[in-house]
Amino acid sequence: MTAPSQLIAIEGVTKRYATSSGPIEALHDVSLAVGAGEFCTLIGPSGCGKSTLLGMLGGLTAPDGGRVLVEGAAVTGPDPRRVATVFQDPGLFPWRTTLENVEFGLELQRVPKARRRQAATELLGPLGLRGFADKYPRELSGGMKQRVAIGRALAIDTKILLMDEPFGALDEQTRVLMGEWLLDIWRRTRKTVIFVTHSLHEALFLSTRIAVMTARPGRIKTLLELGHRYPRAMESAEMVALRARLWGEIREESLRAMQ
Amino acid sequence: MRRGATVMLARAALLLGLLAAWEAGGRAANPLLTVPPSAVLPALWDLVRLRSYPDLAASLLLTLREIAAAYGLAVLAGLGCGFTLAFNRLVGRAYGPILAALYAVPAVVWYPSLMLFFGLDAASKIAFGFLLGFFPVTLAVLAGIRQVNPQLVIVARSYGAGPLTVFARVMVPAMLFTLVGGLRTGLALSVIGVIVGEILGSKAGMGALINHAYGLLRTADYVALVLVTLVLVVGSDVVASLAERRARRWTE
Repeated sequence: MTAPSQLIAIEGVTKRYATSSGPIEALHDVSLAVGAGEFCTLIGPSGCGKSTLLGMLGGLTAPDGGRVLVEGAAVTGPDPRRVATVFQDPGLFPWRTTLENVEFGLELQRVPKARRRQAATELLGPLGLRGFADKYPRELSGGMKQRVAIGRALAIDTKILLMDEPFGALDEQTRVLMGEWLLDIWRRTRKTVIFVTHSLHEALFLSTRIAVMTARPGRIKTLLELGHRYPRAMESAEMVALRARLWGEIREESLRAMQ
Repeated sequence: MRRGATVMLARAALLLGLLAAWEAGGRAANPLLTVPPSAVLPALWDLVRLRSYPDLAASLLLTLREIAAAYGLAVLAGLGCGFTLAFNRLVGRAYGPILAALYAVPAVVWYPSLMLFFGLDAASKIAFGFLLGFFPVTLAVLAGIRQVNPQLVIVARSYGAGPLTVFARVMVPAMLFTLVGGLRTGLALSVIGVIVGEILGSKAGMGALINHAYGLLRTADYVALVLVTLVLVVGSDVVASLAERRARRWTE
C-alpha cells in the first residue's frame, strides 16, 4: 500500500479531555493509514482512546492536534456520503419499524420514498430480518437490533463503515454468530471497515489488520498483518500462535491501564 | 372480552347503587337542599329544551370559547417556555426551579387579583384557565426533553442531521408521549380554571348559571346544570385521551 491509495489517513493525532482532576491525554501522536477494502481492528485496554479515534473518523469528535483525512480531505464533521457508523448501543428509533429504521439515512439524504423503501427491503434478506420489516425495536432481540443498526449503516452505501464494539453488549454465542455474519456481509460488500473491539477472537477472526493500542495516552503499539485469507481456521497452529502474541501485547497494556 | 364485560358490569352496579342511595337519601332530606335523581330528570329535560335557562346555548358557547382561548394560549406559551428553558442552559438553570416552585402554589390564590386586573368578563376566566393549563404543558416539555436518549441524537448526527433535523426527527417523536400527556393534563386544568373562575365570579357562562341556580336554591336545576357541565368536561377529556392513545401507538 502506497500513500496515494490510502483511503483513510490518521496523521499525528492528539486529543485531550478536561476533567475535574485536570486534563487527560486520551491520544498521543497516533498515526495510521488504512487502504480501501481492509478490515482494520483497533484493540487495546479500556480507556485507550479507541472510540475517540473512531469518533474522529466519523466526524463526531475533533482532534486537538494532527489531521484525520478521508479520501485525502480533512474530516470536519459527519459525512454520511463517505462514512457510516455503528455504535455499541444500536440506537434504533423506537417509534420506527425495522424498515423505517433502515431507511433513516436515505431519508435524510432525501432519497425518494419508493426508492429508499426498495433499497431497505432488499437489505432485509442479507440482514436475516425478512419477516421483521414491520416490527418495532422493542419486539426484536439484541442481535436483531444490532443487525438493524448495521442495515441502517449499509443502506447509505458508504465506502467506509466504522463499528464501535458493535457486538459488545451481546451474549457470547450470538456474538460469534454475528461475527460470522458480518464477515460474510463485508466480503460481499467490499467496504472498508474500522472495527473497535475487546475480543481477541473477533479481532483474529475478522481482521485483515489489527492495531494494538497502548494504555492511556493511546498510541499504536503494534500492527499485525493478517491478510485476506478467509475463513480463518481458528484452531490452526498459526492462529493459536498469533492469538498468544496478540494477548501478550494487550495483556501488558491492560496491566499498565489497571495501575 | 369477558373481563371487559365484567368491568363494565361492576361499573354499572356502582352507578346504580349510588343512584339508589341518592334517591333514598334525597327523598328523606330537606327538598330545598337535596334532590333525588327522579327530580333531576325533569329539570334536565326543562334545561335542554331551554325552558329553565333560555341562555343555556349562549352560556355553553361562551364557556367553550373561554376554554379554547385559555388552552390555546397555555399550549403556545407552555411549549415556548418549555423549549426555551430546555435549550438555553442559563435560562433553564435560572428560571426552571422558580417555575416548579410556582406550580406548587395553589393557583386559586391568584384568582382575586386576576379579577381585579382583567375584570369580571371573559378575560379573567381565560387568564385563570391559562394559568392552570400553562404549567403542566411547560413541565411536560422539560420532562420530555430529559427523556430523550442521547444516543439517538448521536446516531442522527452521524447520519448528517443538523440541529433542526435532530429536533424534528428525534426530539419531538422521542418526547411525544410525555408531551401529549402534559397537553392532556393542561386541557383538563384549563377547563377547571375557566369553570372555577366563572363560579367564583362572573356574569355569563356555565359557571354563572350554576351560581344562579345554586344561589336561588333551585337545586334540581343546579344539578342539571352540573350534569351538562360534566358532559362538557368528560367530552374534552375523551378527545384528549384519544389523541394520547394515538401518540402511544407509534411511541414506545
